[in-house]
Amino acid sequence: MDKENLVELKNIWKKYKIIGKFKKSLRESISSFFKEKEEIEDDEFWALEDINLTLKKGECISIYGPNGSGKTTILKLISSITYPTKGEINIKGKVAPLISLGAGFHNDLTGRENILTNGSILGMSIKEIKEKEESIIEFSELDRKFIDMPVRKYSTGMNTRLGFSVAVHSTAEIILLDEILAVGDEKFREKCHEKIKELKETKSIILVSHHMDIVRSIVDRIVYIKKGKIVEEEEIKKESRQN
Amino acid sequence: MLLLKRLFEYRELLYIFTWRHFTVRYRNTALGIVWAIIQPLVMMFLFTFLFTYVLKTGTGDIPKEVFFYASLLPWTFFSSSINYSTSSLVGNYGIITKIYFPREILPLSGILVAVIDLLIASVIYLFLLIIFKITLTFNVLWIIPIFILLFIFTMSCSFIFSCLNVYYRDVGLLTRFVVRLLFFASPVLYSIDSLSLKLKLLLFFNPLTFIIENMRRCVLEQRGVVLWQFAFAATLVIILFFFAHKLFIKTEKDFADVI
Repeated sequence: MDKENLVELKNIWKKYKIIGKFKKSLRESISSFFKEKEEIEDDEFWALEDINLTLKKGECISIYGPNGSGKTTILKLISSITYPTKGEINIKGKVAPLISLGAGFHNDLTGRENILTNGSILGMSIKEIKEKEESIIEFSELDRKFIDMPVRKYSTGMNTRLGFSVAVHSTAEIILLDEILAVGDEKFREKCHEKIKELKETKSIILVSHHMDIVRSIVDRIVYIKKGKIVEEEEIKKESRQN
Repeated sequence: MLLLKRLFEYRELLYIFTWRHFTVRYRNTALGIVWAIIQPLVMMFLFTFLFTYVLKTGTGDIPKEVFFYASLLPWTFFSSSINYSTSSLVGNYGIITKIYFPREILPLSGILVAVIDLLIASVIYLFLLIIFKITLTFNVLWIIPIFILLFIFTMSCSFIFSCLNVYYRDVGLLTRFVVRLLFFASPVLYSIDSLSLKLKLLLFFNPLTFIIENMRRCVLEQRGVVLWQFAFAATLVIILFFFAHKLFIKTEKDFADVI
C-alpha cells in the first residue's frame, strides 16, 4: 500500500440481492452459508463493478453521480459497514462515516446525553467528548435552555444541526460526508461549508453531494460514477475554484 | 479470547450503550429502578401462595419465600437478557446500517443492564436471608464462578438468537416460548434433589439446571458444588460459547445488507 494513501479500493465488486418479501428459504441460506459465490444470479445485480479509488492524506474528493449509482455503497464499504463481494480494501486511520446525521440519537435522551452517545458511536472517547462538549453546543447554535431537554422536543432542524455539530468535532482522520450539505437554514448551511473547508486543512474527506457548484468550490478531485462504474475523474485546479 | 480482543478498543462504547439502555429504560417511569425488584418479588409471592394453598408441595426445610426468590434471581436475569438481546440487532437497525463497531456490543449492553437489575434485586435477597435467619458459610463464594458460567451461557444464547433474528424474524417469536419452556425445564419451582437419577441426568444437559440449583444450594443449604458437575456444565457452556461467537462473527458481515 502506498504510504500516502489512507483509503485504497482495488478492483471492488459488490453484489446485492433484489430482496422480495421473504428473503431466502432456510435451505438456501444454509447452503449459501458454506459457499461464497462470485457469479451473479437472476435476483442479484452488481451495485459496484471494478471500482478503483484512492484517497491520499490531506486530499478532499467527491463522488458524483445520479441516484442509485453506488455512491453510498462505496462509503459503506470504506466504513466497514458492509463488505465487498470481490476485491481488496485498505484503510489507514479512523473513519467517521457521517452517512446520516445523528445516528443513534435517542428521543428520550437530552441533547447533552445524545452528544455523548453519538460522539461515542463516532469513535470519540468519553474524555474527548466532555472536552469538546461546549464547543459542540456552541457550533450547533442551539439555545442553552434546550440542551438539557429530550431531543424528542426538538425540531428536525435542531436535530440535524446538533448531529452535524457532533460529527464535525470527530477526531477521525478520514471523514465521509454523504449529502449533508443541505443542513438547516441558509445561514447554518453557509457555516457548514466554511467548516468543511476548515476540516480540509487537517483531514481527508470524501464528499457526496448533488450540489455541483458547492462541490467544485471545495474538493480537489471529482470521481464521476454511473451505474456502479467509474466513468471519469476530474482534477479541480485551485485557481479555478470560485472562492 | 477473541471477544475481549474485539471489545477492548470499543469498551467505552459498550459502557455508553449500557448506560444509554439503562437510562432510557427507567426514564419517565414513576418507580424507576424499583421495577428491577418488583418482578422477582411479585413472582416469589405468587409461587409461595400457589405452593402453599393450591398445590401444597413443600420445598424441604427451606422457607418457600427464600427458596423461590433464590431461584428467580438467576432466572429473571437470564430471561430478561434473552428477551432484550434477541431484538437488539434488529431494533438498532439505524445504527447498524450507518456505523461500524463490533456488533456484540448491542446484545451485551442488554445483558449488562440485567446484571445491574440483578444486583438491585439482590438487596431484597439479603433481607430475606436475614429475616429467615439463614446462616452463611464459605460455600457462598461458589456463587461467583457459577454466576460467571450463567453470564457466559446467557451471552451465548443472546448471540445465537440475536444474529439469527436478523435473518428470520421467526426467531423473535420462537425465543419467547423457548424461554417459557426452559422455565419449566430449569429448577426454578422445584429442586432436582427429589427427582430420579435418569431425569436428573437428562436435565443436566440444560446448563441452567446446574446453575440455578447450585446458586440456591450454596447459599440456602450451605452445600458445596460437586466438582464433576461443575466441570460438565462448564464444558457445555464453553463449547456453546465458541460456537455462538463464531456464528455471530460469521454472520456479522452481512447484517447491514440483510437487516
